Amino acid sequence: MRRPELWRTTTFRLTLVYGAVFAAGVVALLGLIYASAAGFLTRQMDEIVVGEARALDSAPLGALPRRIADEEAHDIRNVNFYGLFARDGTWIAGNVRRLPADVAADGVPRQLREPGFQPGARALARRLPTGEILFVGFDAKTLTGLRVIILRSLIWSGALIIVLGLGLGALLSLAPLRRIRAVQQASLPILDGDVGARLPTSNRHDEIDMLAGIANGMMDEVERLLWAVKSVGDNVAHDLRTPLTRLRALLYRVRQGAAADGPQGPMLDQALVETDALLARFKAIQRISEVDRRERRAGFAPVRLRALVEEIGDLYEPLAEDLGLSLITRIEASCEIQADRELLFEALSNLVGNAIKFTPRGGSVRLRLTRLPEGPRLEIADSGPGVPEDEREAVLERFYRGRRERDTPGSGLGLSIVAAVARLHDFRLILSDASPGLKVTLDCWPVAMTY
Amino acid sequence: MARILTIEDDETTAEAIVSELTRHGFQVEWVADGRAGLVRAVSGEFEAVTLDRMLPGVDGLTIVSVMRKAGIDVPVLMISALTEVDERVRGLRAGGDDYLTKPFASEEMAARLEVLLRRSRAQPRQTMLRIGELEMDLVTREVRRGGREIALLPTEFKLLEFLMRNAGQVLTRTMIFEAIWGYHFDPGTNLIDVHMGRLRRKIDEPGGDPMIRTVRGAGYAIHAPT
Repeated sequence: MRRPELWRTTTFRLTLVYGAVFAAGVVALLGLIYASAAGFLTRQMDEIVVGEARALDSAPLGALPRRIADEEAHDIRNVNFYGLFARDGTWIAGNVRRLPADVAADGVPRQLREPGFQPGARALARRLPTGEILFVGFDAKTLTGLRVIILRSLIWSGALIIVLGLGLGALLSLAPLRRIRAVQQASLPILDGDVGARLPTSNRHDEIDMLAGIANGMMDEVERLLWAVKSVGDNVAHDLRTPLTRLRALLYRVRQGAAADGPQGPMLDQALVETDALLARFKAIQRISEVDRRERRAGFAPVRLRALVEEIGDLYEPLAEDLGLSLITRIEASCEIQADRELLFEALSNLVGNAIKFTPRGGSVRLRLTRLPEGPRLEIADSGPGVPEDEREAVLERFYRGRRERDTPGSGLGLSIVAAVARLHDFRLILSDASPGLKVTLDCWPVAMTY
Repeated sequence: MARILTIEDDETTAEAIVSELTRHGFQVEWVADGRAGLVRAVSGEFEAVTLDRMLPGVDGLTIVSVMRKAGIDVPVLMISALTEVDERVRGLRAGGDDYLTKPFASEEMAARLEVLLRRSRAQPRQTMLRIGELEMDLVTREVRRGGREIALLPTEFKLLEFLMRNAGQVLTRTMIFEAIWGYHFDPGTNLIDVHMGRLRRKIDEPGGDPMIRTVRGAGYAIHAPT
């Protein structure tokens, strides 16, 4: 399972969306304030220029240049602009030396786009009864100031929103993320087969608790069903054990009582052989569930694989030779692992026994111990008919007897025991093609869980 | 005639045990209840005990540990319906000498009890085993038959030693596998047979009197040639 990244959490993304919406709101609000203020200021400036023009208009003839000079002298903010031009446009008085081209002499205030004026400046021009043209302008310094304030507010508030949003998003996401991680950790034993494990819940009753609750409910049900199945199995095993013991004992006593060369003798012998086969199979089933039930790692101790493989080689070599096979043991590494020695021996014994059983005379069985960077690997390969790819999973199941096993005696449980032992150790058991033959690989290191 | 105590609550199983042990020449007393069984077990009147693991009253583990505490060291064969590997360990740790799981074959039970009895009666510091003309020196690890030295591999030596220590006794394949290799699972019949075959080819000359005999459906036994 990959660790969920902070920025991928729902909370974080939601916070980001909230932040974006909030930022848009702030932009809209400040924009509205600016638009209203700009409109208001423009109207004020218009009133100012109209009023100024009207005041100058009423000045006595010939006194106008002086009045203009007076006004200019009083304008300490340097926002008022005046110009008096002759009929042909030549300058007479005022601090505007040239009549701006886009200002018609109709007395209506309009925007002034001239170098030297702030954007948004207003101005009007009107023709005096003498035919001269009076120009009155008002620079938009206040408006510019306001725009700077608004822009600065926008930048600062934007930066603040981004920083706060990211911070808050991270902060809000961390807590749920921590809980998700806790759930993830708690689910590992479940995936590992511990049906008793449950996911942690808090008393917040939020959506994580809800999901964990649902998952726990499902696990309760799984556990209940598993116990039901197991107790049925145990009961069947328990109920069969005594009658089987009695059956074997009674048959044996009848055989003892019958004349050795009587007509029933061979039949009774055959009945005993069949009963023994039944008992062997029954014990094998019990053995698998016993291995599966075992307290994990309870019987684990250091096991020297070299010695184990040598022992297996010595045990099976005579059998292989008797059947005209060569059993080749190759030990290329010497290593010690934590394992249940007896079960590991049983598993190897089953694998080698199987390989010998299915390999025709003249063939070979190869037992090999190597070391990989991850740990030791055991390989058992034979030159027999092999197992078709589509059957390789199934042969590990209980009672499965593949096509190659139809004509040979056996319980169909040997590989299931091997699989159970591998499960107990968290070892990986792989069946592959030895072309020809079957290769069984047992990787003797706990498989890292990749979910 | 050795006296054996059988503590077993299932009547049919008990009958089977009693009849098989009687057939082997033992005098058997049967007790079905744990409490009465404990009283009889500590009486000191028996040479060996077959003990069911789960009994009404007092259970088998308690009986065997009480026996051991009371200083009664006769061999105890524990018979149990509990198959867990740890159960065997628990049974042996409590003081049992061998552990047999149900369902079992009567002849295997009897063979195991006889091996236990023989072991408890054996002289502790025996250095030489001898059956007829077959000799095994446990110190020099030499084996001779009629003066002819026989070279044995370590496994073959252990196999022959086990047979000779239990001369005349039928030994099942499971018992042989447990005694020689020390594992407690069913290795399949022919695995033991081939090892036995190899040993037999070295011990018994072709045409001569065979000493190692196959007991049909049961196992192997070594006898002096007749």
